[in-house]
Amino acid sequence: MSEEKKMFLEALRRKFKESPEEKQTKFYIYDGWKQSKRKREFVEAAQKIAKERTVPFYNPDLHLGGIPLGQRVLMPYRLSGTDIYCEGDDLHFINNAAMQQMWHDIRRTVIVGLDAAHTVLQKRLGKEVTPETVNHYLEVLNHALPGAAVVQEHMVETHPGLVSDSYVKVFTGDDELADEIDDRFLIDINKEFPAEHAAQLKAAIGKRIYQVCRMPTLVAMTCDGGTMSRWAAMQISMSMINAYKLMAGEAAVGEFAFAAKHAEVIEMGTLMPWRRARGPNEPGGIPLGYMADICQASRVKPDDPVWVALESISMAAVLYDQFWFGSYMSGGVGFTQYATCTYTDNILDDFCYYGAEYVKKKYGGFAKVKPSWDVINDVATEVTLYGLEQYERYPALMETHFGGSQRAAVVAAGAGVSVSLVTGHSTAGINGWYLSQLLHKEEMGRLGFYGYDCQDQCGSANSFSWRSDEGLPFNLRGVNYPNYALNVGHQSAYCGIVSAAHGGRGDAWTTNPLIKVAFADKDLKFDFTHPRLCFGKGALREFMPAGERDLIIPSH
Amino acid sequence: MVDYKPQYYPGGSNIAANRRKYIDPNYQLRKLRTISDDDLVRLMGHRVPGEAYKSVHPPLEELGEPACPIRELVEPTPGAKAGDRIRYIQFTDSVYFAPLTPYMRAWMGHMRYRGVDIGVLSGRVPLEARERDLEKVAKELVETEIFDPARVGIRGATVHGHALRLDENGLMFDALRRFQFDKNKGEVVYVKDQVGVPLDRPIYVGKPIPEDELRRITSQFRVDGEPFRNDVELIQFVQRIHMLRTEAGFDPNKVKDI
Repeated sequence: MSEEKKMFLEALRRKFKESPEEKQTKFYIYDGWKQSKRKREFVEAAQKIAKERTVPFYNPDLHLGGIPLGQRVLMPYRLSGTDIYCEGDDLHFINNAAMQQMWHDIRRTVIVGLDAAHTVLQKRLGKEVTPETVNHYLEVLNHALPGAAVVQEHMVETHPGLVSDSYVKVFTGDDELADEIDDRFLIDINKEFPAEHAAQLKAAIGKRIYQVCRMPTLVAMTCDGGTMSRWAAMQISMSMINAYKLMAGEAAVGEFAFAAKHAEVIEMGTLMPWRRARGPNEPGGIPLGYMADICQASRVKPDDPVWVALESISMAAVLYDQFWFGSYMSGGVGFTQYATCTYTDNILDDFCYYGAEYVKKKYGGFAKVKPSWDVINDVATEVTLYGLEQYERYPALMETHFGGSQRAAVVAAGAGVSVSLVTGHSTAGINGWYLSQLLHKEEMGRLGFYGYDCQDQCGSANSFSWRSDEGLPFNLRGVNYPNYALNVGHQSAYCGIVSAAHGGRGDAWTTNPLIKVAFADKDLKFDFTHPRLCFGKGALREFMPAGERDLIIPSH
Repeated sequence: MVDYKPQYYPGGSNIAANRRKYIDPNYQLRKLRTISDDDLVRLMGHRVPGEAYKSVHPPLEELGEPACPIRELVEPTPGAKAGDRIRYIQFTDSVYFAPLTPYMRAWMGHMRYRGVDIGVLSGRVPLEARERDLEKVAKELVETEIFDPARVGIRGATVHGHALRLDENGLMFDALRRFQFDKNKGEVVYVKDQVGVPLDRPIYVGKPIPEDELRRITSQFRVDGEPFRNDVELIQFVQRIHMLRTEAGFDPNKVKDI
């Protein structure tokens, strides 16, 4: 990539006053934390709170026994793919409402098929099911799902103003059936997706019909992931009893309840094993391919699979690295500093677009060749060498990713995404990632840290280790895959490797067409078509989330 | 039986040759400076110079070890015999042509020293050993060509700096400012020990190694030095290892025609 086209240079010039090529700078002259507007704000707030609560609070002068943060430049970060700059603090999920809402929007989603329920209604209970009854049922459920009563006569309910983001919609692959559904309830595949993708999705979904239930964000915030399908199940069954005038208690209703509430439930995340002690719909149980499908960037730019992969990587970085590894698994605040490397300053963007240009020129486009050692070696090696050389040409770039795990993640992500693009195969992509890690270790003589390196030195041996009948087992891995269980900085890129393989092929989805359609929903609070822009708005405090409690707390 | 000749590292570049040299325990590291035993003890900060070694168990001779064929096979180090604590020294190696990289530091240590536990991270390498053994090892690590006073740091905590630009004197960043450049003497001087506790008197560790000399002795590939891209033999070696691991796990004999 020519000098003027390097995508990270603008951010580097903004981060440091010296030229990005300059090897020397000055340290210890920046007045510590006071150079940061955000840290100054933190100090001011903490001093006020400490007075009120009388317990000591945030005090950056306690850092390292009196040597505060900011012995060097506390650099700003650019949200990749946007013009938004922010401070690092703004990218911690506690400080970023958009990041919180992304997670809440995923967690509070449950997909429930309607066909099994309709079959029992018709064949066992003798009820008529027509588009009109379905529309009526959906109206009832939109009343009940946020937390309202439909059968009992004396009942507590939730304030609509607190649960306004809770609703149900449906989708189907059958155009005729879709036409019969009230537009207010329909996720219209024809309208939401490019024509080619819509055709693929409708063919995969067929005549079946699925509900997408969104539980209230406040429920997602105050209960656990396992709550979601239970909340949906109860409100679905009550609404069915109401809409179809069922007897509450006869044995047949037991069969119906199973069909309606449980038989066709798709959670976003599977139950975790006991050593992780997490229920369903927690980040650790969400497969990489689901994350790639939850991201909706492919609806916006289906012909730019690199951009699509980068958007999905940003979501996976926030959810897997920052929420899951950074908080659920480790505690503390350190992982954000690390995880942002894949979605800030256009660095990974540059490496991926370099790889994309390389494979277009050499192999005639995306997904034009089958995976082979020649192709994997060629593409993964070239992109790895390019990435490492950029760090060495631009000391400001090296300083931006001042931890080796950041560099290892970003370089290998570039390599893995590029191999996915050229082969259209995520398993080849992950193998390219592992080759990149081995090359990186030998080139720099350094990589990440103990566990990071362990994972990547084992990885070659487990990338082609088993076959499934559809050949993409990698899409179903997640953060709890044995070797991945406590290693930040990998899964974000893995999501991009999945995304790039299918994007390169022109696929409408990567792993599950139902997940893809479920998030093609303009009424979600988080914009899944532009996650990085949304995170940027969160950083600038311009993102309005759901789940606010102003209605039930004193004015403030 | 054919005589075994160790093959320490593949590659046709000068960097690969330097790597082979450092890993080879028969290569004598060039001594560049002298640091007194007491100063080394101060830098590490585990005991006061002259203070007896603290022990975590009685000497092995007094301990009465259980019958164990492995113990009979493995000669304990002097520190283990005496029951010393296990302590550490940790180094940070700059990406800017420091003599060693973290993996090189570990491989070199494992080939040269007994009774050491070495970890590898992207910037720093902790080396742990029984205290009197550690002091002996540390002496070589600080006094020889593998230690550049400017681009190698002795750092127990707050270690980062390996990837940061250099300061105006060519020193690697150190948030705790354990070391400084004495312009009058042209030498690097430590004013704090490895975890940042101020020293009672400064310890001079010598002049920075000149840039051209660093480039000659470094074990780091760099695009502005000797590029990795040019060492085709090494790249192909890594690709082959990757292919063998992918196709056959850690049993490459299962791959046909290799």
